[in-house]
Amino acid sequence: MSDCRSIDPLITPYVDGDIAAAERLHVDDHVRRCAPCYSRVTAERAVRALVHERRADIAGDPASAALRARCAAFGAGAYAGASLWRAPRRMLKPLAIAAGVVLVAGGVFIYQATDRSTAVLAAELTADHVKCFGIVNPLVGANANAAAVEQVMADVFGWQMHVPESAGEGLELVGARPCLYAKGKAAHLMYRHHGQPLSVFMLPQVARPGKQDETVRVMGHEAAVWSVDGRTFVIVAREPQPEMERVVSVVQAALR
Amino acid sequence: MTPSFETDALASLDSLYRTALRLTHRPADAEDLVQDTYLRAFRSEKQFTPGTNLRAWLFAILHNTARNRARDLSRDHVAVDSEAVDRALETTIEPGATPESLLLRDTLAPDLQAAIDALPQAFREAVWLRDVEEFSYAEIAEMLQVPAGTVMSRISRGRRLLFDRLHHLRPAHV
Repeated sequence: MSDCRSIDPLITPYVDGDIAAAERLHVDDHVRRCAPCYSRVTAERAVRALVHERRADIAGDPASAALRARCAAFGAGAYAGASLWRAPRRMLKPLAIAAGVVLVAGGVFIYQATDRSTAVLAAELTADHVKCFGIVNPLVGANANAAAVEQVMADVFGWQMHVPESAGEGLELVGARPCLYAKGKAAHLMYRHHGQPLSVFMLPQVARPGKQDETVRVMGHEAAVWSVDGRTFVIVAREPQPEMERVVSVVQAALR
Repeated sequence: MTPSFETDALASLDSLYRTALRLTHRPADAEDLVQDTYLRAFRSEKQFTPGTNLRAWLFAILHNTARNRARDLSRDHVAVDSEAVDRALETTIEPGATPESLLLRDTLAPDLQAAIDALPQAFREAVWLRDVEEFSYAEIAEMLQVPAGTVMSRISRGRRLLFDRLHHLRPAHV
């Protein structure tokens, strides 16, 4: 009779029926005579049968429509066609806007920087922009109350920020939500710019050492990315580049 | 990117998400993990060899991504209760009944799900990939980057831990 040590690596393939005929006979012979190995076989066999039987019940919910949309968007060319170039800084002329678009006062966000490139970050946020405005969009309406948005951010996330209701130049606040990326949190402010969706993302405690202002074209959108004072900001919109540069300059001017 | 690649890849989204959920236990983390998996997959399409198993390739990316994240968090994934494994060998079987029939009769899906979730991650992912997703030992070995023998060992120990836990949940043992 073979010893248990030599049988041990054959037990699981034996239970799974993934074993050569000769080895099967060998194990058959052993487990008929060995109570511990017989118990092991019966235990494995019982669990295998149970999991197979209950497989549909334990699988859990399918992926959400939002996740499906994001992944499909990536497949539709979010990366394959992404190009990255630096926006000419001289084109970002500040406009005279009375109130800032976004002022972060607290700096209490928790966001773990990753090694993702600007293109990847921009693509993720662009997908989120599309998703928030088009699929899961419970907060987006017209004329969102800036004070209410500030209150929600403060109550739920402890984020202290100033969110002007309107920044002029066709920008109108329509909603806000937290975004979860890279095990961290970022804020997503949703605007309409002359009626078209425009997102301002704020990623706290994310610096991009050595990186300058960049604009990424992704999924038919422009994504402008820049960092200041240890925070990274991303504006996403489907705007012509000159218009995008104008909006970016508005926000950057407001942040000074 | 070829349309068929994209379509075929997205067909695995539900099973990837469910597997990610077993790995992370948190829907938000699972979504993030699956999203990263597709980002990497679509960007790395040229590395995929047509004619090979696309689903297994995606699962390999998923587990590689999960491993990198776990490494970042310095989590220990292979904490093993050896005594619990050994207890499964001491189980006695009621006369006239098979272990399969008793477990099927007495185990509710939520109990099974909870028992799977409670397994050490190394065993949980091996059992899940084999018994739920039905991958071969070789495919799992490639996903987890361990030898096939280790895969079989983890499946075996995971199953025995599940048996021990579920056996003790059965009415006669309450």
